[in-house]
Order: sequence, then C-alpha cells, then structure tokens
Amino acid sequence: MVQLTRGTWAQAGTSLDFKTGNWRSTQRPVHVHAKAACHAACPAGEDQQAWFALLQEQKVQDAWVSLVHANPMPGVTGRVCPHPCETACNRTGVDGALAIHNVERWLGDEAVRLGWDYPVEPPAANAPTVAIVGAGPGGISAAYHCVRLGMKAEIFEALPEAGGLLRSAIPPTRLPRNALDGELNRILDLPGITLNTRQRLGRDLTIDGLRAQFAAVLLSPGCELPKHWSVKGAVPADLHEGLQLLRDFMDHGALPDAAKGDVIVHGGGNTAMDICRIMKRAGAKSVTLITASGLPGPGTAPDDIINVVPRELEEAQEEGIEIIDHATVSRLIMKGSRVTGVEIVSLKKEAGKDGRKRRVEFEGTERVVSVDMVVPCVGEQVEPEAFEGYLDGAYFWPDNPFGRIADRVFAIGDARGNRGTVAAAIGDGRLAAEAVAAELSGEADPFADERPVMELDGLNTAYYAGSSRARVAKLPVSERTFEAEIEGPISRSEALAEAQRCLSCGNCLACDNCWTMCPDNAVIKTTELAMDGSHYVFDYDYCKGCGLCVQECPTGYIQSVPETA
Amino acid sequence: MAPRSDTSKRLSELRMKHGRPPASPLEPKAEKAETLREAQPRFRGLESGHRACQGCGEALAARLVMESAGPDVMVANATGCLEVFSTPWPQSAWRVPWIHSLFENSAAVASGMEAAMKAKGKNTKVLSFGGDGGTYDIGFQALSGMLERHHNVLYVTYDNEAYMNTGIQRSSSTPHAATTTTSPAGKERMGKRHLKKDLLSIIAAHHIPYAASASVAYPADLQRKVRYAMGVEGPTFLVIHSPCPLGWRHDSALTVEVARRAVQCGLFPLVELERGALTNIMPIREPRPVADYLELQGRFAHLFRKDDYRAQEELDHLQALADHNIETYGLKGEGLDPMDSTGMSHVRRGGPLAGRS
Ligand SMILES: Cc1cc2nc3c(=O)[nH]c(=O)nc-3n(C[C@H](O)[C@H](O)[C@H](O)COP(=O)(O)OP(=O)(O)OC[C@H]3O[C@@H](n4cnc5c(N)ncnc54)[C@H](O)[C@@H]3O)c2cc1C
Ligand SMILES: Cc1ncc(C[n+]2csc(CCOP(=O)(O)OP(=O)(O)O)c2C)c(N)n1
Ligand code: SF4
Ligand code: SF4
Ligand code: SF4
Ligand code: SF4
Ligand SMILES: [Mg+2]
Repeated sequence: MVQLTRGTWAQAGTSLDFKTGNWRSTQRPVHVHAKAACHAACPAGEDQQAWFALLQEQKVQDAWVSLVHANPMPGVTGRVCPHPCETACNRTGVDGALAIHNVERWLGDEAVRLGWDYPVEPPAANAPTVAIVGAGPGGISAAYHCVRLGMKAEIFEALPEAGGLLRSAIPPTRLPRNALDGELNRILDLPGITLNTRQRLGRDLTIDGLRAQFAAVLLSPGCELPKHWSVKGAVPADLHEGLQLLRDFMDHGALPDAAKGDVIVHGGGNTAMDICRIMKRAGAKSVTLITASGLPGPGTAPDDIINVVPRELEEAQEEGIEIIDHATVSRLIMKGSRVTGVEIVSLKKEAGKDGRKRRVEFEGTERVVSVDMVVPCVGEQVEPEAFEGYLDGAYFWPDNPFGRIADRVFAIGDARGNRGTVAAAIGDGRLAAEAVAAELSGEADPFADERPVMELDGLNTAYYAGSSRARVAKLPVSERTFEAEIEGPISRSEALAEAQRCLSCGNCLACDNCWTMCPDNAVIKTTELAMDGSHYVFDYDYCKGCGLCVQECPTGYIQSVPETA
Repeated sequence: MAPRSDTSKRLSELRMKHGRPPASPLEPKAEKAETLREAQPRFRGLESGHRACQGCGEALAARLVMESAGPDVMVANATGCLEVFSTPWPQSAWRVPWIHSLFENSAAVASGMEAAMKAKGKNTKVLSFGGDGGTYDIGFQALSGMLERHHNVLYVTYDNEAYMNTGIQRSSSTPHAATTTTSPAGKERMGKRHLKKDLLSIIAAHHIPYAASASVAYPADLQRKVRYAMGVEGPTFLVIHSPCPLGWRHDSALTVEVARRAVQCGLFPLVELERGALTNIMPIREPRPVADYLELQGRFAHLFRKDDYRAQEELDHLQALADHNIETYGLKGEGLDPMDSTGMSHVRRGGPLAGRS
C-alpha cells in the first residue's frame, strides 16, 4: 500500500498502474491479414499485394522472386491472362484497377533480361522424381514447383517442343515466341527438370508404367479432341475446325481459299477470337463471330459475358470483326456439300423450371446471311486414348483442389473440364506439386487458404491519393501484322508508379495511422517485425476497445472481434 | 525556426530519460529500453492508463500535443475532463511537471510558472491547457491577461464544444443547434439558440505572434502547428477540435471521421494567424454538405426529423454558417493540393504522404 502524506505528489506516468484494458466490454482490435481481392481472384495463386508492396520499396528483384513463388511464367501470363485479378481489384471502385498484368509482364521480362535466378535449390541426388505428362503451362508449372519443393521432375511431351498451346495456338501478336522461349527455357534449364520430347503417353508410355517407375504422375495433356459440331445434323464436307486451322496457320502460315471470302466463326472463346483476327488480317472479305454469350456491358450478367481476354475483344472490334452476340447458327444453307449461307437465330440463357439456366432460341428472329466458310470453335475435350480408366466422361473431374484422381496420380490444367486459362493450369501445377511433396514426406494435404477476402468496403479510402491507371501503347490497327506484338510494354518508372497505386488491401502498409491516432497510446510500434509480420502491437493492458484504429486503418488490416474470442 | 533547445544539455538528458531517439548523431543514445513501450520512438507525455472515455478526442489531441511539445515543458491545466481523467490521485498520466489549480485560471497559473522559470534562468516552455468552457467562458479573462502581458506560453484549448466533465452543459463554444443538457432540443428550441463564439478572432485582436486552429483528424498538421508555436518566443494559442463520443453522441470509433467531416464541410476551419493577420489556411478540396458531418452525431439528430418543419431551416442555417466560413477564410481549394483537407490525409507505405519529398 502506498503511504500518502499531505505533501505527496503523483509520480509521473503512474497511471500505467491502472489497466484500462479491462474496460473493453464487447470488442477488441486485432490484426487480420485478409486476402487481397486480386489474390483471391488469381487462378495462378499470385499474391499481387505482396509483390506490389516490394515494388513500392523499389525492390524489383524481390518482387519478382515473390511472384514466382506462385507463378514461374509472369512474362507469359502478363501477356495472355484474362486477368480476373484486375476485374476483382478494389481500386476498380476508386479510380481504375491496377494494371496488374502489365507490371507482371514487365517483371517477367526484367528477369529474363537480367538473368535473375529462380528461387530454387538443386534437388538432392536421391530426391524423388515425379513424372509429368505434357509440357504445356500446367506441366511446366508442375515441374518447376516440384523442383522448388525439393523433388525432381521428368516431363514427357508428345510434340518436338515444349509449350503446349502457348506455342501451337496462341498467336505471336499476343505472345511473341522470344518472350515465350526466354521464360520457358530458363525453367527447363533448372537443375532437376528433364524434358523428353516426342514421347506420347498411349503410344510410347502408359500411366501404369509411369506409376510403377516414378514417385507420382501428374497429367497435363490439355484437350486435343475437337468436340463434335453439326447444325441439326448437317456438317459441311470441307469443315475446318477452329483450333486445327490455327495450328496449321502457326505451322505453315496458310489458310484455305474459302477464308478469302465472307467467314462466319461460331463459338465464343479465345480460339474463336484468335482465328477471327487471323483470317481478317489474312484478307477475308468479312469475318463475323456468332456467339451465344453476351458482350460485356452493364446489362450483361457476369456468367453470361463472352469468355475471352477483355482487351482482345476490344482489339478485334477495332480490327473490324463483326460480333453478333446472344445468337447461334440455326441452319446451314448448302449447295451440295458446300456451305453458301447460314441462318442465325437470337437466343439467351434463361432460368428454367428447376432454376437452372439453359439457352432459349427466340422464334421469329431468324435471318439468313450468305457466307463462304463457317468455322466452328466450340471447344475440345481430352483425347481419351491414353487415359482409359482415369477419365470421367470427356474430362478429369477430381474431387479435391489438388487434382488427385488416383493414388499419386493428379490431373491438372485444361484436361480438367472447368479450367481453360494458362493461369489456371499454372495454379493447378503448383497445388498438385504441393500435395505430392506433402504426401511423399508423410504429411496430410496442405491446408486450403480460407482467410476472408478484403473487399472495398473494408478499406478506408480517405487515406489514398487519387491516381490514374498507367496507359499502355498499342500498335495501331494499320500496323498490325502476324508477328508484331500488339500491346506495348511499360517502363520501369511506369511500373513503379503503378505499384504505388496498390491499396495494400488486407495487409498493413505501415502508415502509422493506428499508432498516431490511438487516444490511449495502446498501439505500440516496433522496430523488429511483430509476430504477425507488421510493426505494430496492441497493448491490451490499456486498449479500451474504442474501435478508432479499426475505422482509421486504411487497409482493413485492423478488425474488431468479439472480446471473448 | 528550429526547436529552441535541441542542442541543450537538459534536452538530451530528458531524451535519455524518456527513451527518445537522439536528435542528432552526436547525442548519446538512450540506454537500452526495457519494454516495447519504453522503446517507443516518440515522447509519451500523456501515458496510458488515463481514464478518458473510449475514443476520446481530447485525450488524442493532448497526446499529440505532448508528443511534439515535450519533453522539456511544464503544464498548467484547468479543471475539466483532461485534468480529471489524467490525474486520479495518487496516479498521474503526465510525464512532465504538471499543475492543476482551478477551472478559471490556467492561463494565470501558467503566467506565474513562466515568470518563475525566467527568474531561475531556465527556458523550459510552459503550456497552458483548458477545455472550451475553461477557455471561451470562465478562463477567458485570465487568458486575455496572459496574452496581453506577452508571456512565453503556448495555450491549447481542447474544444469539445460543451462542459463535458460536468455532464454536457452548453458553453459559448457549443455550435448553434446542438443539443446539450442545458440547451435541449424540444418544443421550444432546436438545441442551442446562439452561435459558436468566434474565439480565434478575439485572440487575433490581441496581436499575438501566432494563433491557429487544428483538428485531431489531421495529426500531422496539428503537430506541425505545435512545433511551430514551440519555436515562437511569446504567447501562442491553439484551438483543437476534439470530438467527444459521449457528449456528441457518436460511435467511439468515429471520432476521427467526425472531426474530418467538420473540417471538410467548413464548420471548423483550419487557419493560422500571425500578429492578427491570416497567414495560412487548409483549403477544402471538395466541400461536403454539413449534413454529412451532422448526421453522425446524436446531438444533431433533431435536425433530421422529417416531421419537424424547423429541422430543414436549421440545417440550412448551419450550411449557411459553413459557407460563410469558406467565404470569409477563402477555404475553397483550387485543384489538387497535397496540403488540403483531402491531401493531408493521404498515406503511402511507411507513413503520411504530405510533407514528404
Ligand atoms: C487459340 C487459343 C488461345 C488461347 N488464348 C488464351 C489466352 O489468351 N489466355 C489464357 O489464359 N488461355 C488461353 N488459351 C487457353 C490456354 O492455352 C490453355 O488453358 C492452357 O494452355 C492449358 O494448359 P495445359 O498445360 O493444361 O495444356 P496444353 O497447353 O494444351 O498442353 C498440353 C501438352 O500436353 C501434350 N500432350 C497431350 N497429350 C499428350 C500425351 N498423351 N502424351 C504426351 N504429351 C501429351 C500436348 O502436346 C501439349 O504440349 C487459349 C487456347 C487456345 C486454343
Ligand atoms: C469555478 C468553477 N465552476 C464550476 C466548476 C465545475 N466544473 C468542473 S469542470 C467543468 C466543465 C469543464 O468544461 P470544459 O472546460 O469545456 O472542459 P471539458 O470537461 O469539456 O473538457 C465545470 C463546470 C469548477 N470546477 N469550478
Ligand atoms: S496470372 Fe492472371 S490473374 Fe494472376 S496476376 Fe497474372 S494476370 Fe492476374
Ligand atoms: S489495390 Fe492492390 S491489393 Fe488491392 S485488389 Fe488491387 S492490386 Fe490487389
Ligand atoms: S484506438 Fe487504441 S484504444 Fe481504441 S481500439 Fe484501437 S488500440 Fe484500442
Ligand atoms: S493503420 Fe496503418 S499502420 Fe496501422 S495496421 Fe493499419 S495499415 Fe498498418
Ligand atoms: Mg468542453
């Protein structure tokens, strides 16, 4: 007990004896590192917030290292990914999404230019070896992640070269081959990766053979078998299916003669878009895309928007491709076995009795146009030959995020029916490799990241200065060829300025707001990293739970939780 | 002007004692701090453990003032919330010499302290603190005398716009139309009938070297003003808008948001005056309607009653007062300004944006 005499005065700072923390009744502030919206949307699993944070500190190489922790091919995805990250980016609701794909591409190109080392160690001599079928983006990613996780990878590819559709189908105007090879070869050269070309599963190898010989088998064969296409049973004799046309054009640069006239392309994906543009550039009189989906716009439901890279659509329209959306080909008009015209009918996805959406054709909207060629682009499925017993219908349908379809057999990429992007194939490759690594070291499957997503309404936007998105130069339509890349690069200074626009959604940016504004001095700043990776600690001895720091944290990193938790 | 005593031996001793980082590479580093709290890279003049309400704007303001004024200061503090919540006997949240005497005489006590320091040949700066009641009302003549006698004192009034410590009675600083226990909104009146006293103009008429208004919503601006005043020889004055969640009836989490909106709508202009002349203002980038500010607070809830014809009239009256402030002080900003009411909030990785090159 303190003895108080008349002349006594209170000692400086003695209020610390009184723990106001016990005033907190219902809520307490905590640090919560939520997923940034971009990260949650990236099929490759990149944490863009993390690498933008490093760029904000001018740590360019560190940013790339952080990025390739998830995606070894930023130079490729930065060029071809439909970037759902940008659609999800919280800055969309402020003054325009971050130009994520442009900065990603720049990082990828810088790494190639400057020869930065991938963050992998050579695997041990006795490390387990994983067999990978297919050297498309899925297979390449899987091989890279196997090595990153200390295993060896042996790839078996049917074609003479690696790359999958990146090489055989995506036009160089979107993915120049030197950009592809620059990145791809650096991965294939990593210690522990062996590429065997001209090795076709089904012809030269079997799954069971691989299972017997290797620690695990990862299947990334993509989809090679065109889906059957006919219009009410009719098929033209000289049918050219879109992907095949594209592949032939990539191989020997020629298109059939009919492609000089009026062409109709039927479908709605990347293949349709690419073949439209190539035929137009090669001199077709007119090219019209008929798609059942809708064009992006305020009236179009997100699940109804045509599934292509948004800027490709824009560019195609600039180049004079006609698009008839919400429509299908309802009849072929033939002269003998040759198509001379098509009947088109409007349609839309409508909810049926069971609530599920299906396509309804609207009677009375039929119109006929004359054409010289119809090119179906309605998709492909897995070539079943090598995969009897593993396929489930046309595709693999694993019931787990890692792609496991049998003991130590995994399916990744397009061969899983609901994929369809390079980024998704890359993400699958990583997840499968992680599951294999865990399994081989006797551990359970890795935990799924179930952190909440930080949306715009969780941020305090009063603290962010306005700045507009970097604008990137594009080749004018008149200068577009079959080779020259259409979208230009961004410069170092533009990339670093763009990084400054990142709102750091869900993660502390060390702004000091909480430290500056707590009326109770209950936020403590530390030089060392605190346990949660920030530089701030709540002193719950004194925090009264007012919630002010929660409100004034720009990034949503401080959240209020019930006191009992 | 550089802080006066930066090189003084006393200041470096105090820095050592309080674990503050050295001001220059030549100054010895503080001995190793024992705890995270002691290792804070700032001076904690008003420590934790004080009994202010959750989200108290006044506690925040005083903490910010002490951080940039200390450690070589002493404080005279008028009766009021700040005095009561910081010093429940036998404890004190202050880490500087601190004297409390009466509600009405903080400036007079500070005058005496300053004279005593002068007699002892010390240049420790004296701060004088009071609430709005203790400043606009009962302590006003002591303040006026202190300014007139030109004491080297920084007077800070924590303006929470009512007598909060005794239960939310109106003061001459309570804004027009606010409900308090002595100006209740009801059949007779829509809250306080009279206007908020324009104290800053009265202070300016004393012709003192420096007088300014600040807000807890703009800590960097507030602390710059404190540092500036600390460097001035002679009387200086600062009024800090300090929301009171209890008296204004808003959520304790919204203290800074409420303060920010007060500035952004023009009802609480942030200005600086030297020798009575307006020398600086914080421009408002895009003035917000006063309703944005008022709607967050229960003390103005009666202005949003759809069934009372007087409500709209009073809202319009408050809007006119805000517009008048914007007009009088020329607060309307022109284009983007990093130091305006929007730019001053901006942060980037590692801290505030304003003032960084
Ligand atoms: C024209 C076109 C444009 C596209 N544009 C884009 C775009 O802009 N953005 C985007 O994200 N996605 C795009 N895509 C989709 C993207 O290319 C695929 O999602 C991605 O390539 C899938 O990768 P994968 O590894 O699963 O398969 P693939 O890339 O198809 O690779 C499979 C590989 O496996 C090999 N293989 C197959 N069977 C066997 C076997 N039995 N034995 C051994 N090897 C075998 C194949 O030769 C091939 O190299 C486009 C697709 C097309 C067709
Ligand atoms: C002469 C005198 N009259 C009345 C009081 C009672 N009293 C104590 S604090 C206070 C109000 C203080 O209001 P303000 O100065 O605005 O400070 P706040 O509590 O709002 O911070 C009053 C009326 C007193 N202490 N002395
Ligand atoms: S891979 Fe695609 S979704 Fe992921 S960051 Fe790159 S552009 Fe965005
Ligand atoms: S602002 Fe940054 S962290 Fe937030 S969603 Fe956009 S890219 Fe991701
Ligand atoms: S501002 Fe301070 S007292 Fe209020 S909740 Fe945050 S840490 Fe606690
Ligand atoms: S307020 Fe700023 S420093 Fe504090 S946790 Fe949030 S982002 Fe980090
Ligand atoms: Mg008061």
